[in-house]
Amino acid sequence: MIDIGLLVSIAIVLTVPAVFVRPWPPAAMEAGVLDTALGALGIGLAVGRLTALAIDDPGSLTNLSDVMIIRSGVEFWPGLIAGLAWLTFRARREGVSVSARLAALAPPGLIAWACFEATCLLRDGCPGPTSAIGLRPDGLVTRMFPVGLAVAVAAVAGAFVLDRLHRRGHQSLQVAVLAVMTVAAIRSVASIWLPHIGDGLTRQHRASIAGLAVSIAALVVVRVRRQGAAPLVDIG
Amino acid sequence: MRTKVIALVALAALVVYAVTRPSGATAFEASGEPRDLPAAGKLTELSAADFEGVLVGLRGKPVIVNIWASWCAPCRTETPLLERTWLAHGDEVVIIGVASKDVAADSVRFMDEFGVTYPNVFDGSGEIRARLGLRGFPTTYVFGADGRLRTTIVGGLTEQRLAAVLEDLRG
Repeated sequence: MIDIGLLVSIAIVLTVPAVFVRPWPPAAMEAGVLDTALGALGIGLAVGRLTALAIDDPGSLTNLSDVMIIRSGVEFWPGLIAGLAWLTFRARREGVSVSARLAALAPPGLIAWACFEATCLLRDGCPGPTSAIGLRPDGLVTRMFPVGLAVAVAAVAGAFVLDRLHRRGHQSLQVAVLAVMTVAAIRSVASIWLPHIGDGLTRQHRASIAGLAVSIAALVVVRVRRQGAAPLVDIG
Repeated sequence: MRTKVIALVALAALVVYAVTRPSGATAFEASGEPRDLPAAGKLTELSAADFEGVLVGLRGKPVIVNIWASWCAPCRTETPLLERTWLAHGDEVVIIGVASKDVAADSVRFMDEFGVTYPNVFDGSGEIRARLGLRGFPTTYVFGADGRLRTTIVGGLTEQRLAAVLEDLRG
């Protein structure tokens, strides 16, 4: 059975950043944002799906039709890491600065993620905690705060800030690390409100908190290295 | 500029189609003589009339009916989720699995593989899925405590969606 909501979501995720977002610097994206990102998206989905199956249902790894049904679950962080690894590999092969490529793709990447989260409306995937100002999901009586829409707004704001920082001369590597940190922070906070079964943190929530810790550490390292490499200022 | 306009129009058309597509809800209300809930953790073959009797007998408590098959990939993802729900919230909501369009031995093997402990019914004749108006595997039907069908979820369940349904049933 075809999942129309998911198909439309993917169409929007691919179209909006490719057509409406102008990555900066343009020299880092000569092939175009869609050409560059499509491989990363495919690799990320494949790795995320395989990881989800390896954790939840290893017996299905040998069944191609089971593997192909991505609606059954995709692990976000392994997918993101695989996508970043693919972008790094492609940038090196094309002789483009890896950090410039990743920084140029960070705002469109966040916009793509925002599009996916916003289209939760088409996949019945928005419900958050019970709230008087929320939406009423299909078939339910209770109003619920649309966490997906809040995540989308936060991701768009993050994309805008990162784009400004980069155009104002922030180092590309810092912008790329800040993008990962933004995603981890948004997911860590949003996971607090996502309804789940039973007590304790979900696996996705724990992974996002770990991602946030790692990206903060990476940002500190990048900044310390940059300060260490900065030329000495003559004050005499 | 022209590309952007075409892209906007195409996206708008897709969104309108997705939003206006028919919902998975079907009209169904169980009737007949009340029957006992089949034994938990077992696969019990029932006719559609007996299955409806089980639903009638459960009035007063919310019921989640999940139609599955051992060959269905999303069923493999949602079964552990339903099991967790049964263990955590079995006192406030009843979960009944209905194995349909399947071989009974394969269904039992599937249940053993996932350690299913909630009651399951085997729909050997296909009557139950026809009565519920099943459109695809898996499908989950949520009945309120009044016995009325509140919502139908066609396709794989996510934890978020299932938890939202539970929250709604509590409210």
